[in-house]
Amino acid sequence: MIKDALKSLLDETAGRQPMEHEVKRLLKGLGLSVPKGFFIPAGNFTTEGVRLLHRKKLRFPLVVKAASPDIRSKSEARAVVLGIRTEGELERSAREILKNVKKARGVLVEEMIGGGLETIAGGLIDAQFGPVVMFGLGGVFVEVFHDVSFALAPASRREALKLASRIKGFGLLKGVRGRPSVDFNALAASLVTVSRLIATGLIKEIDLNPLALSPEGAFVLDAKIFV
Amino acid sequence: MKSLEPLFNPRSIVLVGASHTGLKLGGVVLKNLLRLRPKVRVFPVNPKFRRLMGVRSYATIDEIWGDEIPKSKNDLAIIIRPAPETPGILEELKGRVKCAIIVSAGFAEAGRMDLQEAVQRIAREGGIRLVGPNCMGVHNSSNGLDTFILTAERLSRPHPGGVAIVTQSGAVLSLIFEAFSLSQPPVGSSITAHYGNAADIDESDIFEYLEGDDNTKAVISYIESVRDGRRFIRRARALARRKPLLILKAGKAAAGQAAAFSHTGRLAGSYRVFKSVLAQFGLAEAADFEDLVDGARALALQKPLKGNRVLILTNGGGAGVLASDECARQGFYEAGMPPRKLARFKKIFPPFYVPGNPFDLTAQVKDEDYRTVLEGLKEDYDGFIIIALSAVRGITEGLGLVLADFKRRSGKPMVFHTGRDAVGQKLSRTLEEAGIPALNSPERAVRALRKLLKKD
Repeated sequence: MIKDALKSLLDETAGRQPMEHEVKRLLKGLGLSVPKGFFIPAGNFTTEGVRLLHRKKLRFPLVVKAASPDIRSKSEARAVVLGIRTEGELERSAREILKNVKKARGVLVEEMIGGGLETIAGGLIDAQFGPVVMFGLGGVFVEVFHDVSFALAPASRREALKLASRIKGFGLLKGVRGRPSVDFNALAASLVTVSRLIATGLIKEIDLNPLALSPEGAFVLDAKIFV
Repeated sequence: MKSLEPLFNPRSIVLVGASHTGLKLGGVVLKNLLRLRPKVRVFPVNPKFRRLMGVRSYATIDEIWGDEIPKSKNDLAIIIRPAPETPGILEELKGRVKCAIIVSAGFAEAGRMDLQEAVQRIAREGGIRLVGPNCMGVHNSSNGLDTFILTAERLSRPHPGGVAIVTQSGAVLSLIFEAFSLSQPPVGSSITAHYGNAADIDESDIFEYLEGDDNTKAVISYIESVRDGRRFIRRARALARRKPLLILKAGKAAAGQAAAFSHTGRLAGSYRVFKSVLAQFGLAEAADFEDLVDGARALALQKPLKGNRVLILTNGGGAGVLASDECARQGFYEAGMPPRKLARFKKIFPPFYVPGNPFDLTAQVKDEDYRTVLEGLKEDYDGFIIIALSAVRGITEGLGLVLADFKRRSGKPMVFHTGRDAVGQKLSRTLEEAGIPALNSPERAVRALRKLLKKD
């Protein structure tokens, strides 16, 4: 089932890297939580497009990101604008991003989700052990602490929870100083899904970073798949 | 498992590249092999000599079998000839030997993948299990088999004992042999295997053999890389279920792998993944070389710890504190003492002793004090870290008997640290014979004990 869903995404995007909104659509279909949002193709980008916002009932504040199969696009200057509070701001930001990022095929507009503990879940094909799933502290922490651990993929729910418990920052997940524990069910489900996706052998790497954990769930704020 | 019996326990050995002098590699090996006679038949091959070191030598491989039809199989061939000659030699040995060790270098490690693939293919076709190339081969202290090209004068072999050594590096093998022989007291080995480029036999095959080797009580393994990680994990787990296995993985600083498009790819250094997978399956890892050797001693001598409550019993405050710090780093639980017992120790001991954990018997200690404390607390702790700084007058050789006696009756895991003066050395030997390893620092004693704690 996971394999079929992944296959149909890869068929659709044949010959290029899937874009963020396409990966998120896949993950959503597999039961993971992603922010509410929609993709506006560059060609269709008109004031009309922005009106879609109302029909999809997105709530401010919003995020706009360049959508491109070229993975480097998003790290270019001004490829992402956060904290958008009005329709006018949205239209301006989107036009600017399209002007700025030459390879952009459109923009992804999403509700901005604040709070939560930023973690990273990923998968890759290890040269010695084959498909492995990774979990660790994400966002800015990942660059400094490198607090990650790996497990063979596919991983069961139990193995996924054990994987999470092996990172040094595990205490942050359980809740410190009266803060509540994150939703371990949602975390385990996300890790199991990532591990099954990488274990299909159809992709080279997958990254959910950040995966925002809170008592309410696990939100995939950004996702990449490399084929 | 059966298929490696001719490698570790051969009844007949063909040595291709034998030499008449101990100054050449082929002579060093021949000299060692001849010690195995008459239980083992040895066939040296050298085109120039009819006799070598007093035994018949053969000009060609064919000559060994002569007109014999069908050709009987010998157990093992050892090949010490330049790499380009080895495919031809192996071709001639097809159907005639069960196992072969290619000692020679100059294969994949030197960029000659073609030569390595050639010997790999010929061995597979000929049903020959292959060790190497680029390796020292095997040492088996139970039957005297020794295929190493380093002389015993330069590199002393460990005495027979319970630790098997499986190593990807010959240099590390020599470091381990040195550490085993020179440590006080020395550590004994069972089977040692250096598999080099692992064209066929690798760590996983050897793990499988060692599962059933009764002389081997514990296994240590130095690994730089494995070819098939999943198979390695299967075999390592199977072995670890039967006897302790301690792994030292080298190459810890290796950078991220894969094309590394993603954060995941950049973070996935091969060591990070390796370490995680060992942890995932509860396989024990040594932090460094010293840890590997110390761990080997502890594992070969004692049963696993049943829990993580440990007592530090010392006659020097600072030494106890160092041990205590290491206990914290290693995740040991330095459980406090039951109040009733604490009160009793305060009553029977002089007022300047410091009961507790660590328990400090101070420089005024007497040997019998160790017995009093251990007997009083044997049910309260899972393991004991004993420190006896032997510079003080009250520590005598008699302490060895006290501790050995406690060990025998309680069966509890113990580690020991003492001085290196004459008394300390004698104590270490007595205790090692009683199954209590003596380590060179309080921290190393704690780490060695930690190796006895099974992971979940």
